[in-house]
Amino acid sequence: MTAGFFFVLRLLSVLAALLAPAAVLAADPAYLAELVARSREQRLAERPEWHKLVHYVPNVIAPGVHSLVDSPGFFNAPDGKTDPRAELEATLAQFFVPVEETAERQEAQCTFVARREWLDEKLGFDAGRLPRAACRRYAEWHEALNAKSLTVVFASAYVNNPSSMYGHTLLRVDAADQTERTRLLAYTVNFAANTNETNGLVFAAKGLLGGYPGTYSILPYYIKVREYNDMENRDLWEYQLDLKPEEVERVVRHTWELLSAYYQYFFFDENCSYHLLRLLQVAQPELDLASPFRWWALPSDTVRELTRHPGLVANVVYRPANATIIGARLRALSAPERRIAKELSLRMAGIDDARLAALAPERAAAVLETGHDYVNYRRATGEKDVPDPGVLARELLIARSRLDVPGQAPRTNPGTRPDQGHGSARIGIGAGRDAGRSFQELDMRASYHDLVDDDAGYVRGAQIQFFRTALRHYDNGRARIERFTPLDMMSLAPRSDFFQPMSWRISAGWRRSRVENGSEPLALDVNGGVGAAWELGERALAYALGEGSTRVHHDLRSGISIGAGGRVGALYDPAPRWRVHAYAQVLAPVLGERDSPRAFGLEQRLSLKRDVALRLDLSRRRESRIERNAASLSLLLYF
Amino acid sequence: MKKILVVLALTLPASAMAAGENNVGCGWGSKVFDGQSGIAPQVLAATSNSFYGTQTFAITSGTSGCTQDGTVRSSWKTALFIDGNKDKLARDMSVGSGETLDSLAHLLGVQSQDRAAFDRAAKQNVARIFSTEAAATNDIMAALRDVLSSDAQLTRYTAAL
Repeated sequence: MTAGFFFVLRLLSVLAALLAPAAVLAADPAYLAELVARSREQRLAERPEWHKLVHYVPNVIAPGVHSLVDSPGFFNAPDGKTDPRAELEATLAQFFVPVEETAERQEAQCTFVARREWLDEKLGFDAGRLPRAACRRYAEWHEALNAKSLTVVFASAYVNNPSSMYGHTLLRVDAADQTERTRLLAYTVNFAANTNETNGLVFAAKGLLGGYPGTYSILPYYIKVREYNDMENRDLWEYQLDLKPEEVERVVRHTWELLSAYYQYFFFDENCSYHLLRLLQVAQPELDLASPFRWWALPSDTVRELTRHPGLVANVVYRPANATIIGARLRALSAPERRIAKELSLRMAGIDDARLAALAPERAAAVLETGHDYVNYRRATGEKDVPDPGVLARELLIARSRLDVPGQAPRTNPGTRPDQGHGSARIGIGAGRDAGRSFQELDMRASYHDLVDDDAGYVRGAQIQFFRTALRHYDNGRARIERFTPLDMMSLAPRSDFFQPMSWRISAGWRRSRVENGSEPLALDVNGGVGAAWELGERALAYALGEGSTRVHHDLRSGISIGAGGRVGALYDPAPRWRVHAYAQVLAPVLGERDSPRAFGLEQRLSLKRDVALRLDLSRRRESRIERNAASLSLLLYF
Repeated sequence: MKKILVVLALTLPASAMAAGENNVGCGWGSKVFDGQSGIAPQVLAATSNSFYGTQTFAITSGTSGCTQDGTVRSSWKTALFIDGNKDKLARDMSVGSGETLDSLAHLLGVQSQDRAAFDRAAKQNVARIFSTEAAATNDIMAALRDVLSSDAQLTRYTAAL
C-alpha cells in the first residue's frame, strides 16, 4: 500500500517533469532545440562569462563546480546550482515562456536580463521565433539608475566597533546627469548581512559562522554617507572606475539579477567585498578580480586588487568623516577660539558672547561652524551634555548665516590611501637571545596591523591581529610554539578637550611564560584592559590602561592564574620610517600563582620599503620571581 | 550545511525566494511613511523627532516613495532627499554653499546662472526654512517654496517642491 502510494507519487513527479518542458517547448520547440544545439557546439556553458553570471566556483574536493548563490529562484534547472550546462539550457527554455508582467511576476528574460543579453550576443536570437520581452520593471529601474560609470566606495575601519573592523565596500552607480558636486544623489549597490542584530559581538560571532543571509540592496548614496561619515565617523574613499559604457551596462544588468538572490554571509570570505568583486568582474569577460579572495577577503585588500589592474581605477576621491572634519577645523583654530567653540557647543557661552563678537567675521564663522559640527557629533555619538542639542545647533547655524563670509571648513589631509598601506599579512624572520639562550624565530600573522607597523593607509592607534603564530628554535635543538594568538586587538584613541574616547585592548590565545614549578607551559592566556590615550604633539602618543589577565594551564598552581594591574606605554616616531614603542606592565596576583609578573620593553620598527621592515624588540620580564632579558632582531615582510 | 540552508530558507520572507522578485523595497524609511497619505504628511511622520537622529533608517519594503525595486519615484526625490539630509542641508544653507545644497539645487533644476541667487536666498532665510529645531520635511519644503516664490529670479524653481 505504502509502496504503491510512493510509486504513484514518483510517477506523478516524472510526469510533471516531462510535462513542464513540454509546455515550455510548445512555444517553438524546434527553435529551442536549435539554440541548445548551438550553445553546445560553442560550449557556452564552459565559458567564463557564464560561470561569472551564475557564480560558479570550483568544488573544494570533488570535481565540478557549484554556485555560491543559495536562493533557489536564481536557478532555472533543478540541478542548476551544480550543473552549468543544465542551467544554461533550462534558462534558454524559460526564455520561451511568456508571462504577463505584474508586480509579483516577470518573465525569465527579465529576471535574468544579463544572461539574456549574453546568450543573445552569442546565439543571435531570432526575435520572430523568440519574442523579446519588454521588461517594463527593469526598464524603469534602469532609467532611474541612469548609469554612466561605477565607483567602488571603501568605508575605513572603525575599530571601536567589532562589526566594522576591516572596513566595508559598496558600489556606487554614477548617473549620467551627475556631477562631482551631486554624487550624493547616485544610487549604491550594497551587499550586507540581512539582520536586525544591533549587538556588534553577536553580529560578529554569527557572521563568522555564516549565520545570516547576505543580500544586495539599492540605496541612495546620501543614506550611506550619513551612516558612515556622519554617524559612525568613518572616512570614505571613492575609487572611480574607468569602464566602457557597455561594461557598465553589464554590471547594471547583473545587479538586477542579484537583487532577488541571497547568499550565506561569511565575514572573512563570502563577505561584502568578495561579492562586490564578483559583481564587478562581469564587466569584462577576462576580468578576474575575485579569485584571489575565495577564502579570505579583507575590504582593504580588495580595493588594493582594483588598483593592481592597470587602467581600472581612474581616480580616487577622499570623503572625510564628520569627526575628521571637526579635527581639521580644530587644528585651524587658535586656543582661545577653540575654547569659545567648545563653550558654545556646551551652552556654557551664548551666541551673543563678547569674545565671539570681537572676532573678525571669518574667525567667528570658523568658531560657529566648529561648534555646530561638534554639537551634531556629540548628538550622533549619543552624548547628552545639553538637554536640547537640536535647538542649540539651530541657534548656532542661524548665527553663522548672519555672517557674510564663505564657508571656513579647511581642507582635510587625506593621508595615505587604504590601497597604498602595507600588505595585511605578515611574516617575520628573526633571531635573538632569551634568558641567555639563543634562538631563531618565525612569526606569522594572517592580518592586519599592529601598533608598531606603519600607519599609512590604516587607522592610527588601531591594532587588529588575527592568528598570530610564533615558532621558535633554540640553539640547544628544541623547537616549540612560542605563541599562538587568534585574536589581538587594541584601540588607542587619543583624548582631547573635544574628544574623550576610551582606549582598550583585548588579547586571547596561548603564550609561553615561566610558572612557579619552573616549567614554561604554553598556557591559555586571555587578557585585556581599558584606559585612555593622549597625543603628545604630532608624532607621539601615550596611553595608560588598567588590565586584567587570566591564564589557564595544569602546570599553574590550581590550574589557573588571575592577575590585575596596569600598563603604560608611548609611541614615538623619531623619523618618518622609524617608530619606537616603550611599555611597562605590572600584574598583581589575585588567584592561583603568587607571582607578580612585570615586563618592560622597547619595540622599534624601521621601514625599508612599504612591505619590508626591520624590527628590534628588547624586553626585561619578571616571571616567577626570576628576571630575564630578551632581545630579538627580525625582518618583517608584508604581503 | 544543508540544515543551515533550510533554516535560512525558512527565515527569509517568502517573497524574496520567488523567482525574480526584487523585493528589496527602498531599504529605508519605514517610519517615514507610517500609515499616512500624500507626500507631506507621510514624510513628516518620521522626522518630527529625528532632525539630528542617531538611528539609521529602518529597513523595510513597500513604501510608497520608492519602487519595489529600490529606486525613488521621481516625484519623491526632493522630499526624500531633504528628509534624509536635514542637518547637513541646514548647515550648508547657513554657510551658503556645500555639497548638500548643490544636490538640492540639482533636484530643483536650478540653472547655473541662478545658483548664486539661490544660495543667497537659502542663506538669508535659513531660520525661516528650518523654522524649528524639529522642523518636519513638509514644513521645510513649504517654507522653501515661500522663499523661492518671493524671489522673481527663483520663483520658477518651486515646481519640484
